[in-house]
Amino acid sequence: MNKILQIAIREFVATVATKAFLIGLVIIPVVLLIAIVGMRTLFDETAPRIEGEVAMIDPTGEVFAGLYEYLQPEAMAERRDDFKEKMEEQLPEGLELVAGTPMAEEARRQALEVLLGEVPRLDVVELDPGGDLERAKDPLRRGNATQGGRLALVVVHDDAVVQAEGRETYGKYDLFVRSKLDDRIEREIRGGMVDSIVDVRVRRAGLDRETIESLTRVGRVRSTTVTEEGEKQTNEVLNMLLPLAFIVLLFVSVLSGGQGLMTSTIEEKSSRVVELMLSAVSPMQLMAGKILGQMCVGFVFLGVYGGMSIAALMSFALLGMVDVSLLFYLVIFYFIAYFVIASLMGSVGAAVNEPREAQGLMAPIMMTLMIPWLLWMPISRDPDSMFAVVTSFLPPINPFVMLIRMSSTSPPPLWQVWVSIAIGVAAAYGALWFAGKVFRIGLLMYGKPPNFRTLIRWVRMA
Amino acid sequence: MTTEAIVLEGVTKTFGPKVAVDELDLAVPRGGLYGFIGPNGAGKTTTIRLIMSILFPDRGRISVLGQRSALEAKDRIGYLPEERGLYKKMKVAAFLTYVARLKGADRADLRRRVPEWLERVGLAEVAGKRCEELSKGMQQKIQFLSTVIHEPELLILDEPFSGLDPVNMRLLRDLVLDQHRRGATIIFSTHVMIQAEQICDHVVMIHHGAKVLDDTVTGIRAKYDPRTILFEPRDPGADLAPLGALARVRDVRAANGAFEISLEEGTDPSAVMAQIVAAVPAARVELNRPTLEDIFVHIVTGDADVGAEDVAKLRADLRNGGSPDGGTKEVEA
Repeated sequence: MNKILQIAIREFVATVATKAFLIGLVIIPVVLLIAIVGMRTLFDETAPRIEGEVAMIDPTGEVFAGLYEYLQPEAMAERRDDFKEKMEEQLPEGLELVAGTPMAEEARRQALEVLLGEVPRLDVVELDPGGDLERAKDPLRRGNATQGGRLALVVVHDDAVVQAEGRETYGKYDLFVRSKLDDRIEREIRGGMVDSIVDVRVRRAGLDRETIESLTRVGRVRSTTVTEEGEKQTNEVLNMLLPLAFIVLLFVSVLSGGQGLMTSTIEEKSSRVVELMLSAVSPMQLMAGKILGQMCVGFVFLGVYGGMSIAALMSFALLGMVDVSLLFYLVIFYFIAYFVIASLMGSVGAAVNEPREAQGLMAPIMMTLMIPWLLWMPISRDPDSMFAVVTSFLPPINPFVMLIRMSSTSPPPLWQVWVSIAIGVAAAYGALWFAGKVFRIGLLMYGKPPNFRTLIRWVRMA
Repeated sequence: MTTEAIVLEGVTKTFGPKVAVDELDLAVPRGGLYGFIGPNGAGKTTTIRLIMSILFPDRGRISVLGQRSALEAKDRIGYLPEERGLYKKMKVAAFLTYVARLKGADRADLRRRVPEWLERVGLAEVAGKRCEELSKGMQQKIQFLSTVIHEPELLILDEPFSGLDPVNMRLLRDLVLDQHRRGATIIFSTHVMIQAEQICDHVVMIHHGAKVLDDTVTGIRAKYDPRTILFEPRDPGADLAPLGALARVRDVRAANGAFEISLEEGTDPSAVMAQIVAAVPAARVELNRPTLEDIFVHIVTGDADVGAEDVAKLRADLRNGGSPDGGTKEVEA
């Protein structure tokens, strides 16, 4: 036991006390952060700051004023601000608290000013309805969308606001734009046209637009989750993300431990230090020590990322979303998933001579590990389906699937959880047994890298 | 305590159709200095791995330091495998300490012993360096230290001298002899016969997995004494007829620029040598001592009809590692 512990300590220190490990530890949060910030920038729906002219031929003489108003910079900035407010309403309670502070108000005011500076400056001009359409299009053919000049030409149909004789429907409008016009500018123009035409039609029908709007609007409702402990607002986003967060945690920590075990085993083999080790310890002791050491490495990942997630939830007062017992099961399922996956990856390490050769044997393991990602959506939506129940008992993916089910909106009965754990423990035992056999034969085997069939033959032999 | 450090009885190990070790019997007494010799692929490494319980025999019984298996005596054994390496990223002193701790050495004791040993092999300054920063020769010395640092009762060295330059080879040889003087039992394998001749007091020859010779070096020499004297006259044109007429001389043959004088059985060579020198003025007179190589070739080729080419190849194998395809370095599944 003492020897196993010494091997474990060396394994842990040798893995953790490297720059590569520290980089690996911080790289995932950094990538996530970049993804979150980057996504927002990438999917910015607001139009860029562009100067130019939007021309309109309006035979009705009534639509122009509405578009003109709609495309004024102040109006655009105001709409953006409204949009932001609506977004904030969708935020979970904790975030609303943060958003409601005076500091946030100040920040918002400043943001609005910035917004005003960023909206497009569009010059909306009206052309003579009797003029030549082709000549009006001419400026569109010249130049490009960033250099000012005419950006778009709107031609309103005669029957856009008044139905033509004998027809039930209204006409519409044509939109001509220059090449490569930003689609967000186009969207603003379309929005303005709809707004303006509807406005005129409503007025002409002798109705009041505000009345119609208030008559047709029903506010968005968020459901309230009622539990024995009390009632709280349902948070759909978190309900969806929580299972994902759990499998990410499990996946990252299991894989980092398993990967470490595989590389260090290959390294010991290729540097030929392994026979020296085998003169001091048995293959089983060597394997046990290494698995134990890398288990601690994976646990560091689990601890750091899990801790960070909990800290983040606490700072948004959202910790109540997570059932604390889930964390307990997360640790249990980590052990099970780690022992199964790491044993297999360690066997691969013991069987090959260099990392390149491991690829072929790793492919089936990695493919198996991808299954929970594919299952995340269907299972977290329908956690009690027959499919979900069966896969949550099926090693080696049962820890992942069971965690998805447990963190979903409809957790499984406890007996199912424990049956899954029992199956997992049995699978871990089997995987360790398999790895032990492969270690005994594989560690001193050099030459042609084996395939899975050969591995099974070794297991039979040992 | 048994008097034998190692006992093998009828040990056989096969890899598929290949018989690597065939019905091997062996007894190595405590304190012995044994050489395992034989060409590459003879089964030396497999035998050593069987002794170390890294491999397990198909048949036969092994006892190491009075235990049924080396597994029960691992801490008392120092093993330098043929395929040896270091943890490249580990620092030298940390590596030695780690290996010795796995062998049950005391940590406090090691704090003194590690620098002492490094000093002894002239590597005191590399204690804080990573193993990968060392030259190949330095790494080999560290590997040897990792074998002896816990002061084992039994040292098993598989081709300890391969790849060493002459200076380091001499240093290592002295260290091995030091361990022998300390009382350790030593077995080392080599395919270079001359090393065995220089160091061992007992030689075990292995060929095709079977033991073909197991005796002391002097015993082997006496047994395979070719009873010839090498003679080189001072005057190359001298008349050698008087030599053939000497009592107990069977015949005189020219060989490699000198002459081989064969004696009759039971003759005391020193008496004849005196007579030879008196009969013809000599530039060189020496007893033709058989080398282990000669004996090995003699045993292996035996009475069989072996061509000169095969003998030359065998000799080349024995001198410098020979054929690259000869080794059973890999376990064949």
